[in-house]
Amino acid sequence: MGSPCELICEARKRADALELSALVAAEAWRIEDKFSRYLDDNIVARINSAAGRPVDVDEETAALLDFAVTLYDLSERRFDITSGVLRRIWRFDGGDQVPSRQSVEDMLSLVGWHRVDWRRPELQMPGGMEIDLGGIGKEYAVDRCAALLREQGGSPCLINFGGDLVATEPPLRRRRWKAAVEGDEPDVPNRIIDLKIGALATSGDARRFLLKDGVRYSHILDPRTGWPVPDAPRSITIAADTCVQAGMISTLGMLKGAQAENFLSTQGVVFWCRR
Amino acid sequence: MKRTVGIAAVTTLLCAGCSSMGVEPWERDILAKDEMQLTTDEIEAATDDHIYFSKEASSGGRGFGGGGCGCN
Amino acid sequence: MTRSDNRSISVTLAAATCSLLGGGIPAPVDAQEEPAWDFNTSLLYYGEDDDRVKDYSVSAIARRMFVDDRFLTIGLTVDVLTGATPNGAIKQDVPQTFTRPSGDGAYTVAAGELPLDDTFKDTRAAFTVSWQQPVGETSLINIGASASREYDYTHIGLNAKFARDFNRRNTTLSAGIALSMDSLDPVGGAPTPLTPMLDVGDKSNRRGDEDKDVLDIVVGVTQVVSRNLIVQANYSYSNSDGYLTDPYKVLSLVDSTTGDTLPRVPAPGAEGPSHQFLFENRPDDRTKHSIYGQAKYYMNGKVLDASYRFMTDDWEIDSHTVDLRYRIPFGADRYFEPHLRFYTQTEAEFYMLSISDSQPLPSFASADYRLGDFDAITLGIKYGWKTRNDNEMSVRVEGYRQTGSIPGNQIIGNQATRDNYPDLNAIIVQLGYRF
Repeated sequence: MGSPCELICEARKRADALELSALVAAEAWRIEDKFSRYLDDNIVARINSAAGRPVDVDEETAALLDFAVTLYDLSERRFDITSGVLRRIWRFDGGDQVPSRQSVEDMLSLVGWHRVDWRRPELQMPGGMEIDLGGIGKEYAVDRCAALLREQGGSPCLINFGGDLVATEPPLRRRRWKAAVEGDEPDVPNRIIDLKIGALATSGDARRFLLKDGVRYSHILDPRTGWPVPDAPRSITIAADTCVQAGMISTLGMLKGAQAENFLSTQGVVFWCRR
Repeated sequence: MKRTVGIAAVTTLLCAGCSSMGVEPWERDILAKDEMQLTTDEIEAATDDHIYFSKEASSGGRGFGGGGCGCN
Repeated sequence: MTRSDNRSISVTLAAATCSLLGGGIPAPVDAQEEPAWDFNTSLLYYGEDDDRVKDYSVSAIARRMFVDDRFLTIGLTVDVLTGATPNGAIKQDVPQTFTRPSGDGAYTVAAGELPLDDTFKDTRAAFTVSWQQPVGETSLINIGASASREYDYTHIGLNAKFARDFNRRNTTLSAGIALSMDSLDPVGGAPTPLTPMLDVGDKSNRRGDEDKDVLDIVVGVTQVVSRNLIVQANYSYSNSDGYLTDPYKVLSLVDSTTGDTLPRVPAPGAEGPSHQFLFENRPDDRTKHSIYGQAKYYMNGKVLDASYRFMTDDWEIDSHTVDLRYRIPFGADRYFEPHLRFYTQTEAEFYMLSISDSQPLPSFASADYRLGDFDAITLGIKYGWKTRNDNEMSVRVEGYRQTGSIPGNQIIGNQATRDNYPDLNAIIVQLGYRF
């Protein structure tokens, strides 16, 4: 998942806490192994190397693909899991290497969910295209782990996978769980959020951006153009009932660029937007 | 004067033994609780300091001398 | 997209999430930004028995937190004092009349009663402000100012403290300094020390106002001993310089054989003291040294807070204070905390019950019971709970009792037949609310 993942647990006994951590770690690894684009023998690898042939997917993958379609429609095609290939030409490392117009044009021919034939449970897409579930995977993993913890019952827990959080219950030993949100500098908190129960997700560019000729390019790319969304906020934090909802609303907000705040204020969620 | 030197010596000895004691940062859960702070309620501490400063001949100890009133 | 379209996004998303995750609907989220302000407020009643001092007080401390552990603290306290306080004269078997501190009236005390001056109905307001911020990775600095005002006393002060952590933050060394500049404007003017209390309207031995400066220095070390135990030790130095006398207190001038207060007759047509009283006098310098130690120990949810303080000064007063608090939680939201405090002090070098007419007039003399030899005990209990909206309330009730004694060699003649030391019994009730 590309980030440190931790579980904070208020359990009566050390053994209980270790048991719950094992449960969460196992589920996190399972999802990582199944959906990571870096492995070459999982369902995502089979889909991405199918070279135009149809692939049958399992129930869980099908559910994620259906969800991705909903987001594709809700975002007016700005959220697109086929846009991952653009990372080949965009490297957001804080430097100033911006790709040429031509290379972006060329890469766009491999981007676009409209080119994909998805008829559950069969997925068929042109050779050279790839799907990347990185935009949903982490939040999905957090919510799955939270569900497992709730089933076990008993101990209030806080799951934190690289800034995507769920508190399964209010903590016992203090008033609220506290989450610090980064500001402009990595590791320097800008805001403290008191979380009693529920999910918190943040989209931001503290670490991934390009800076050329005084223009800052956020890592949120618009798949319709191949270029970063102009005027995207620096960071959006959303509090919602589930991590998936929080993550998706914050992503949708970033994709709205200059209209982020207007959009977020109509969603009925608590949000913090920083420019 | 002797008394003062004695007091200073006791304080120094207390400090000398301190350098290797303690806990790791991840063992500070109990110490972080509100009820384990050295002053749990500022107003209660200030109230007591003020009452005892007004009715007795001693003051302070934990912090500054209290006072600032015409009571003693 | 229109507004209504925007709204339907979250609804659609919620439904889609439900399909994706399956299973039950989790509880609605509860998250908010940490409030920038923190408040601690209280109402206090302090009441001594036998018509003595009563104090009603309202306090509030507001703290504004800024990112990175910086904060501003503002405090305000208002006290309303009523009731009477011993004026330093001893009991007699006959009524005694005294001139009021203002010099504009007189009051009489019944035979056998402890002379109390009830002139004081005073309102006091005190204000504090301080700023704290980290310095580098391991230190912090705190600077503050304070001011207070009552009808005859004004205080302004500055203070600063620096603290540094060592040893993976297990050890903290701190040093602080405070300066006070106070001025007194006693009702009627400060009396010339050791001169007699005069008739009503006669202000010939009264002077104007006075000042006092106080310097306090505290150095300390805080040490984490184990996961459950933290201790602190401090050394304090305090020096007061200026007018340290109580302008309203007197001593009875007594016959060297009978120990009875010498009578006096006011001037014809005037009201005035029925006996001879001399205004007290204290040195204009006082240096105090204290050492203080505290430990907080956590045992399975309960917390024991124990502290000891030893004070010694150049007025020959030594004192010991032992303070114990034991917090017992009940469930996650409530606690009881019994409290016990022992205090004992020895008398000031110039403390005396009365002045004998056969001895030469001493340079310094005071019969103020607060400088005498006494023991005190406080016994109290506090109950605290979390309110419905997650704030904290508490109430505490305490009883304070002071019992003193006069050394045998200071008792003269008939004084032995009376209970001379004005023992003190007080009740403290305080209500606190933090939000």
